Amino acid sequence: MVRTQRIERAEMANIKNPTEPVASGPLPTPALAMDETPTRRRLADSRPTTLSGKLKENLYYLRGRGALEIGVVFVVILAAFSVYSAVSPGSFPFLSKDNLSGVLSQSIPALAILGIGVGVLMICGEFDLSVGAMIGFAGVVFIRVSNQTDWVVGLLAAVASTIVIGIVNGLIVVYTRIPSFIATLGMSFFWTGASIFINGLTPATFLPGVRTPEAVNILAGDYGYFRSQIVWMVVIGIVAWFYLHRHKAGNKIYAVGGNAAAAAAVSIKPRAVRLQAFAFLGLMVGLASVLIVGRTSGMQPGTTADYTLLAVAAAVVGGCSLTGGRGSIIGMIVGAALIQTIQNGLILAKAPGFYVQLFLGVAIVIAAVFNKFMEGKAS
Amino acid sequence: MTSQATETASSMTTDGGALLRIDKIVKNYGPNTVLKDVSFSIGKGEVVGLLGDNGAGKSTLVKIMSGVVPMTSGQYFWDGEELPKVTRPETERRGVETIFQDSALIPTMSITRNIFAGREITNRFGFMKIKEMDEITTEILDSVVHIEGIKSAKQLVGSLSGGQAQAVAIARAVHFKRSLLILDEPTSALAVRATEALLNYLLQLKSEGVSSVLVTHNLHHAYKVCDRHIVMNHGRKILDIRREDTSVEELTAAVVEGAEGIKRFRQGRALA
Repeated sequence: MVRTQRIERAEMANIKNPTEPVASGPLPTPALAMDETPTRRRLADSRPTTLSGKLKENLYYLRGRGALEIGVVFVVILAAFSVYSAVSPGSFPFLSKDNLSGVLSQSIPALAILGIGVGVLMICGEFDLSVGAMIGFAGVVFIRVSNQTDWVVGLLAAVASTIVIGIVNGLIVVYTRIPSFIATLGMSFFWTGASIFINGLTPATFLPGVRTPEAVNILAGDYGYFRSQIVWMVVIGIVAWFYLHRHKAGNKIYAVGGNAAAAAAVSIKPRAVRLQAFAFLGLMVGLASVLIVGRTSGMQPGTTADYTLLAVAAAVVGGCSLTGGRGSIIGMIVGAALIQTIQNGLILAKAPGFYVQLFLGVAIVIAAVFNKFMEGKAS
Repeated sequence: MTSQATETASSMTTDGGALLRIDKIVKNYGPNTVLKDVSFSIGKGEVVGLLGDNGAGKSTLVKIMSGVVPMTSGQYFWDGEELPKVTRPETERRGVETIFQDSALIPTMSITRNIFAGREITNRFGFMKIKEMDEITTEILDSVVHIEGIKSAKQLVGSLSGGQAQAVAIARAVHFKRSLLILDEPTSALAVRATEALLNYLLQLKSEGVSSVLVTHNLHHAYKVCDRHIVMNHGRKILDIRREDTSVEELTAAVVEGAEGIKRFRQGRALA
């Protein structure tokens, strides 16, 4: 029943040019058509040729891949908030400069970048619980190296440190074959301890003069309705998109996450691919950590654990599957934006603190269920 | 009895320049020996049926032939030349393609991406030429295998039926001009028509000089298309015989009852 419905729907959506013949080649005689296999419609002929036809086909094959549905949800919520805010700017100042620039464009980018890292790793079929600990470690490295040298050197050192951590986590998972969930849980405590060992429990802060005006401008510059961090998110998002969706390395990540045995059978090396995904997560966490420090200009080890699960939530809301093989960069960014926007909306609506958590939790579960449902509709 | 049957077949293939020859392969999994001194060869353009009950060692043999699992001891000759190390990249380079029972393809990826997984068409920076790959895939689906009901190269493999997915896996093997196709239980998930198409397809490949190994429980399917049958029993090769010299009944006896079964079958035939 479900199967036939799906086929019918597929039939409707499979747009063919009405002026073209359904089948190519000479028409079979009725007698032949009776006993032999019927003449097939060639795929090459049934591909859409018109612009709207192509658009429809592309939309059809975007269903259930993660980004499309949650994108629509996000746009609807954004529109609702905007309309409400436009009608009563006093009671719901969503569209105000302070809110868009000061709150949203500061909270979304770091989470979106984390979501990209965690999401890519999830597509590969692995998981990292040490994200929060890595942020703390990289933040401490950023501040302390900057104080010794220069903020650019500090930035590079911070990113390098998380890439190394990512690779270490990856090596443990890939070579011991213990579940990444367990391995990174242990590493989470280890890296939190390591950052406290290096820094102590007091917050690390920049020495006077280390945060040059350029540093402030680049890491947290205020440009009216948006902050520079949004630019970081867009640039990183585009690079990650090309990496995951257009580069052969990204294709291998999907292959390993979707079916590691089948990937190995076509000479893809699952270990190397998983290791690469862990290193990519490290890169993303390093960049996010730098942005977080750029915003708060301090880092206290042991206070960043919340980011781990928020990043996972962003990836899951954005359509990544915990079992691997599914997800998209746009979905991950939208997932992060959706979480932060809902949170922002609740605070603006003056919901008490515990309500925010409550609604956020419900929203994440609904989004995950919704994504699971749409996954089944994918064709 | 057994050795007699073995001789006839091996003499046939070793002289004609075998594509793949394995010699005295032993495989241990921990304390268990799952393959005991297995030797055979596969000629160019030959379709070989690999038969046997569950636990006979067929799947392990398939994995060793395709380079996924290393053998404990034994030799592996390709085109008369011994491979010092049998790894998947080595066998892949020589054109061995294995279609495993259920795991040949990646369900979460489109047909195009499955066909080109690990062999993507890219520019020199490694970025994929998606449009080109889509076009080639459409062409493959239209010309190579006749698959009913596939709508587009962009369709997810997870949304295909078992037969369609199997056909896509075979189309991939053909497109990349493989020289030895190993099919592990390819017909177990297929409907009658799809099975028919698949078996015909093997014959078509044979005419193009592609060798194949068909691993199956279904002796009727195997008997229909295979030039030669190898029967495994408890990790040993008990029969290696050309189609002309055997029958479905004899193969059945061999698979079900092992070497004893062959003996009884032949005695029975001699009496009658």
